[in-house]
Amino acid sequence: MINSKKSIITRYILLIIFSLIAIFPMIYMLSTSLKPNGALYEFPPKFFPDKNELTLENYKYILNESKFMRNFFNSIYVSVIAVIISSIVSTGLAFVIGRFKNKFTKIIFSCLIVTMVIPGTTLIVPQFEMAVKFKIINSLSGLIPFYIAWVIPFSTFMIKGFMENIPNSIIDAAEIDGASIFQVFYKIAVPLAVPAIASVSIFNFLSSWEEFPWANTVINDTKLRTLPIAITGFFGQHQFTQWGYVFALSVLSLIPVVVIFISFQKFFISGLASGGVKG
Amino acid sequence: MKKFNGFLMMVLIVFLVAAPIIAQGANETTNKEIVLDFWHHYSAESAENKTLTEVLIPEFEKENPGIKVNAVSHEWAELHDKVLISASSSSLPDVARCDIAWLPEFEKMGILVPLDSEMNDFEEVSKGLLDSAMSTAIINDHYYGLALNTNSKILFYNTKMLKDAGVEVPNTMEEWEKTVKKLSGKNVKGQQVWGWNEPGLSAWNICPFIWSFGGALTNPEQTKASGYINSPETVKAVNTFASLYKEGALTGFNSGDIPMTDGFGTGRYAMMLEGPWKIAELAGAYPNVKYQTAPIPAGEGGSISVLGGEDIAMFNNANKDAAWKFMKFMTSDFAEVEMSKCGQIPVNKKALENPVVVEASFAPYLEAIKTAKARPTVASASKIDNELVVAMHEILDGEKTAQKAMDDLAVKVDALLAK
Amino acid sequence: MQIKNNSSKFQLGALMAPGLLIFALFTIYPIFRLLIASFHDWTLASMVKQPFVGWNNYKTVFSDKTFWISFENSIVYALVTVPGQMFLGLLVAILIDGIRKISVGFRVLNYLPVITSWVIVSLIFKYIFNTEGLLNYFLFNILHITSKNVRWLDFRWSGLWVAMFLGIWKGVGWNMVVFLAALQQVPKVLYEAAELDGCKSIRKFFAITLPSIKGSVLFAWVMLTIGAFNVYTSIKLITNGAPAHKTETLLTWMYYKAFSTGEFGYSAALSFIMALTLCFLAIIQFKIMKKKDE
Repeated sequence: MINSKKSIITRYILLIIFSLIAIFPMIYMLSTSLKPNGALYEFPPKFFPDKNELTLENYKYILNESKFMRNFFNSIYVSVIAVIISSIVSTGLAFVIGRFKNKFTKIIFSCLIVTMVIPGTTLIVPQFEMAVKFKIINSLSGLIPFYIAWVIPFSTFMIKGFMENIPNSIIDAAEIDGASIFQVFYKIAVPLAVPAIASVSIFNFLSSWEEFPWANTVINDTKLRTLPIAITGFFGQHQFTQWGYVFALSVLSLIPVVVIFISFQKFFISGLASGGVKG
Repeated sequence: MKKFNGFLMMVLIVFLVAAPIIAQGANETTNKEIVLDFWHHYSAESAENKTLTEVLIPEFEKENPGIKVNAVSHEWAELHDKVLISASSSSLPDVARCDIAWLPEFEKMGILVPLDSEMNDFEEVSKGLLDSAMSTAIINDHYYGLALNTNSKILFYNTKMLKDAGVEVPNTMEEWEKTVKKLSGKNVKGQQVWGWNEPGLSAWNICPFIWSFGGALTNPEQTKASGYINSPETVKAVNTFASLYKEGALTGFNSGDIPMTDGFGTGRYAMMLEGPWKIAELAGAYPNVKYQTAPIPAGEGGSISVLGGEDIAMFNNANKDAAWKFMKFMTSDFAEVEMSKCGQIPVNKKALENPVVVEASFAPYLEAIKTAKARPTVASASKIDNELVVAMHEILDGEKTAQKAMDDLAVKVDALLAK
Repeated sequence: MQIKNNSSKFQLGALMAPGLLIFALFTIYPIFRLLIASFHDWTLASMVKQPFVGWNNYKTVFSDKTFWISFENSIVYALVTVPGQMFLGLLVAILIDGIRKISVGFRVLNYLPVITSWVIVSLIFKYIFNTEGLLNYFLFNILHITSKNVRWLDFRWSGLWVAMFLGIWKGVGWNMVVFLAALQQVPKVLYEAAELDGCKSIRKFFAITLPSIKGSVLFAWVMLTIGAFNVYTSIKLITNGAPAHKTETLLTWMYYKAFSTGEFGYSAALSFIMALTLCFLAIIQFKIMKKKDE
């Protein structure tokens, strides 16, 4: 690509525009969370709050109410356990499918791929019936197995690629040294697949963290609500929406996500990249 | 050794998944305390909910050691759906505060407890509550709830906006139509203002107009809608509403509209029809708006508002003794007086004589309640509501004429009433 | 590939079993249950007894006007957002590929929408596109482009447009990352050779870049199409199907039928129709993928 000075400047300008569009809504949300609730229908609407409008009252309210801390905890609990279990089971599955190609594993893999096409929410009705039968309605544990099941196909798919790419030489060498399958798995395969496992885990964490339809259906108790339900819980009657609280809670719930993202940035990128290139 | 590790891993996984489930089950059986699940639709951030959680429940728990109340707030429409869902999954709460319109539907599903048959002191308790309110809980000769609140809607109007437009508060529907138009347009800031706000299109919203214009939804026996829901009077009511909307004189039910309280409080809506709870809401969020109240304007059918209210009902999987105690508490004069401070009109006779309640000046609402009509008290009430909303949209969007839409609606409602 | 003795077989089984078990129990079984349920009259009121009704539910679904509206909405949503995101994502990727400084910063910023939860971004957009919201303020009061406040959320197509715009906005970053990685894999030699032949930028793009990133393009295409039909939260929170169910998509309508009107049988039939449609689409996409490889 010819990189003339003019074209580079154009690129930067365009990128700045795109980036501004990308973060504009988030900034607006942040600024609205710093306005008092009564100012939300002010005219003219201001993008940034005035100096005398700036207030932390929304945050104070959220942080003081113990139930929101509870919601945070619930989301963390569900997401962490779901991620841990799904990573373990998907990695095991991916290892076998990726390195032991026979008719059986091929069929299993095809099944996984086909169900990847079906959105998890489509199965909500029979899954609801199951949750009722197992009496896990209205419990956090009722969310976890479903969250795990929903991410198994994609996670296995992504990790399998990595598993396939492990050089045969390493495995053969280990075999000669008398390693059992378990040993090959956790001494060789898993360490090498860590980038894939990490990026898949991050995606799974995010999807559990923000999952809405299933949690909304299953959870009734206020104490058991996860963050997404808590955020929409402010939409009471038609007559009253306290956007200030909504956005303050949203901002707070974004903090862990952003922290994780920035810390594990390279895993995100590399994970997607490898998946994309492989296609 | 290696096999062991893999095996351990599996055991760990099974444990991780199973443990919380087992723990939860154990919890329910080893606790000596009784936990009552109480579902309601007081807005989570409302004064009512505050009173419930900070005053009423602690008082009840104090008087009844060994019983804990787990109150859950759901949005109004969601509460209805959640009860339906929970009925099917046997995860109903013990007690719920239900809109009076829902009781027939829930009774038909067989999930409510007939209180008069099962509770020994029912007679005594119900005697302390207003007869008219208790009448909302009778279905097929049995009582399925205790009346908790009664209410109706009256006209709220922004005094300044009316004065500036040079109009008086309307007394008849004809005046109302003219006034609404006159109050609409642009304000000094160039923003659009509306003479009327209507936050929804269901029976709760449209019926006052239909009835005041002299129309009806069904025949008195509630077996037929044709000839009533598409009668000339009903169609006239709906048509008036629709043409005001098309002229930009009223709004409030669209997704993007300013919410009712925010709009009224900031002078964007000049008038609305609301209940006593609005006073506390406005005082809290928009204390500076100056307004007055008046009865709903009278049309051919009179000045008829819609009867609202809530009953507290018990579901048949409940811990009956504990639940009954809670229900009696919530309808006691103590609880009713406390709630009256948030704009909830008591039905407890003793509470109504309490100076606090008297001072709360529920008088205009009580007047309206005298002539107010109830929405259809049939099991298919919710479904009828849904069809009404669809029909209203068809008229408002110009898809059908009012007559055609109501004719089609009549057919659908006839079918629903027949079930 | 390892020697297979009994111990090895057990170990393989142990590694696969948990995943397969959870998958079979919570995904495969529901799919079959869904199929069976769709042939029965299953309502909330009759969770236990479900009379067999054959094709009735399917007939009801296909003759339901709202079903077709939701189907149409879903297709439109997919047709608009998938190419939209891909085009913009590729564009941003190309832009970033050509600069040296701050590229990490740009990548992070553009990826932020992707990691923000659907619930949150839907609510932000709902707030911005409110009839009295920020966007209308700019369009009407400041730029005077519109004659009055546009009622974005009140009508079918404008409401859908808000959701679609949200979908595209949220997905650009994801596409950017996928394509960026692919772009960086394209051997520079190819470009140099083309330049020597006197190729112009545009020609280079179509002759070299596109074919080289074909794999990623198709990967994105398939994943995004699946995602497009998965849309639920944004529609539910922004329009909630209003007005009068005209902005419903397949998933939101299915959910409404199941949990607001309690018609599980109808909902199951609808889910199955949806699953089949998606499988069908996926197969077509895969076939095209295979064809292009040849």
